[in-house]
Amino acid sequence: MPIVELQNIRKVYDTKVAVEGLTLTIEPGTMFGLLGPNGSGKTSSIRMMIGMTVPDSGSVQLFGKPFARNLLHRVGYLPEERGLYKKMKVLDQLIFLGQLHGLDETTARKRSLDWCERMEITEAIDKKTEELSKGMQQKIQFIAALLHEPDLIIMDEPFSGLDPVNAELLMKTLIDLRKEGKAILFSTHRMDQVEKLCDAIAIIFQGKLVLSGGMREVKSRYPRNRVQMQFTGGDAFLQHPGIAEARNFSGMAEIKLTSPEAAQPLLAAAMASGAQISRFEVMEPTLEEIFIETVKGTPEFIAAGGKIHA
Amino acid sequence: MHNIWLVARREYLERVRAKSFLIMTILIPLLMGGAIGGVAFMSRNMGSGQHIAVVTDNPQFASDIQTEMSDSKGTNKPTVDIYPLSNPTIFTTLNDQLAAKHATLDGYLIVTPAVTTGQRPTFQWVPKVESDVITRARVADAIRGALTREKLITSGMSTAQVDSLLAPIELNSKGKSDHAGAAVASAYGMFFLMYFVILFYGMNVARSIIEEKTSRIFEVLLATVKPTEMLAGKVIGVGAVGLSQVAIWITLALVAVKYMSASAGFDMHILPNAGQSALFILFFILGYLLYSSIAAALGAMTNSEQELQQMQIFLMLPLIFCSMIIFQVITNPDGTVAKWASFVPFTAPLIMYTRVIVGHPDALAVVASIVILILTISVVLWLASRIYRVGILMYGKKPNLPEILRWLKYS
Repeated sequence: MPIVELQNIRKVYDTKVAVEGLTLTIEPGTMFGLLGPNGSGKTSSIRMMIGMTVPDSGSVQLFGKPFARNLLHRVGYLPEERGLYKKMKVLDQLIFLGQLHGLDETTARKRSLDWCERMEITEAIDKKTEELSKGMQQKIQFIAALLHEPDLIIMDEPFSGLDPVNAELLMKTLIDLRKEGKAILFSTHRMDQVEKLCDAIAIIFQGKLVLSGGMREVKSRYPRNRVQMQFTGGDAFLQHPGIAEARNFSGMAEIKLTSPEAAQPLLAAAMASGAQISRFEVMEPTLEEIFIETVKGTPEFIAAGGKIHA
Repeated sequence: MHNIWLVARREYLERVRAKSFLIMTILIPLLMGGAIGGVAFMSRNMGSGQHIAVVTDNPQFASDIQTEMSDSKGTNKPTVDIYPLSNPTIFTTLNDQLAAKHATLDGYLIVTPAVTTGQRPTFQWVPKVESDVITRARVADAIRGALTREKLITSGMSTAQVDSLLAPIELNSKGKSDHAGAAVASAYGMFFLMYFVILFYGMNVARSIIEEKTSRIFEVLLATVKPTEMLAGKVIGVGAVGLSQVAIWITLALVAVKYMSASAGFDMHILPNAGQSALFILFFILGYLLYSSIAAALGAMTNSEQELQQMQIFLMLPLIFCSMIIFQVITNPDGTVAKWASFVPFTAPLIMYTRVIVGHPDALAVVASIVILILTISVVLWLASRIYRVGILMYGKKPNLPEILRWLKYS
């Protein structure tokens, strides 16, 4: 039974089409990446998923049932734009949000304390939100989304504004939750961040789905034609006929080959040229490269001037 | 329902626990009491120490003016100096007195006898301050009284007869003289209470909506709470804060009045009877809910305090209108203006209550007015939540009127 099933949903705001014919399925125990540049319709899709707005057409199913508000007690949502009551004490705030998600006060209090310990912010419990650092507020928001042990966790740009240590802590927590069988939906424009995390992805662009599937399956559709190498000495070998595109950052080259088979001849040619090679790695394309590869032919991409903040 | 309760409870507790609530609760009665006491003190002392001069050759007339100027109660008797017209330097002396910085003289009156006997003398008033209309009016009244007195005496009446004829009249309405004043006071009291509480707490509903918009907390809330629940919770929660405060004030006032009337030995009615007290509470709550709902709609339409400030006038206009007609309603509670205004929802709470206190509306009309109010509150809340729901999700864009109308159609 899929956790989320969107069937051909569409949403138009006045004249702007926010989402057009989006279909996707999220299975339990997966980390699902909803990817796309800014303004491509990620947040609009999420809002329809949790009933904040109603799609103009198409259907939304949660936990195998048509959308109903009582199913929302099984969903945890971390919105992209974070917000907490500034003047309210952290613990009161967490209890209030927990109660709104259907917990009773005692349970909400106990879980809040446990989570604050787990997230290493116990000292913040008695403070008002406005006295806390941004990173701490973010963690509180994160806890608020998880307090009621939701089966579907929706995280809109969860790592923005977090330092690496805290981002790591969050990531670890999410991986633990996935092990418990929860489904996690990541929405982000930072495709590099989710590359290692996600089991399945959907990339949307201008409100339309351009690519979706399991991470491995998507990647295997594209040839392993990327090479990264580190070297000292002359870079004359970068003129090799097997190279489609190369960028040399003084001793560190990123190369796109014409075909995966050109890798070995290139290595041989480089060694023959006398360069000292310390690293030579054949890689699969990154999600970002795949994304640009996919959309570069579309009229929307050309209209956007070929520039996308991805 | 559970969500409404949770939202309302949070609003209530957060506000009541805030220091500002305590400060307002103590400070407002102090300031109001101070202001009322100050005005009462000043008006009691008004007229005392009035000092005028009369320049005339007729000493009897001057002393008549003196008698007329002193009012019936015999307190704050004004000083009246009398100078003969024949004194050639008198005008320079008086003008110097008027110009002097610390002079107490408020002005002088020159009485020039008529050329032909039996004609009125001519009067000239030279005030210290041109805008002192109160003294001027008192002098004019005194002259008229003095002239009458003079005429009556010359036509053969005795001084005692004239005194009794010209004595001030106490007009008592038969039987209920006490309650009339109290009724008017309670109508005015309701008006000021409502005006203040709506201005303060009604706007707080709008403000708390805007606060949630700017802090973006609404995104988290809307993931479980329906906009209507959120809005209703806010109106009820913030409303309860206002009602608590008013309840504290009224209790304090009642205790103070009881204590004061016990110690000072006078009888004070704030509300004439229990039925009218119940109506006071009912109309107050209905009016308050109505205005809070309008405030909620304003909050839903705007994105910042500044924008809200501009919209605030829409909340205050009906109240200002009430303040313009309330005197007419009190003096003529069953007249056309009062009748119409007690069925228009925005003026109904105040005007209908006033009519019940001072007039004689039939029971059906009162019930109709209450029903109209309840219906209007539901419609306004429904509209507000529609605007809120769509508006909040289109944050960042100020809607225009056609857009708001279109939003009402959105699901």
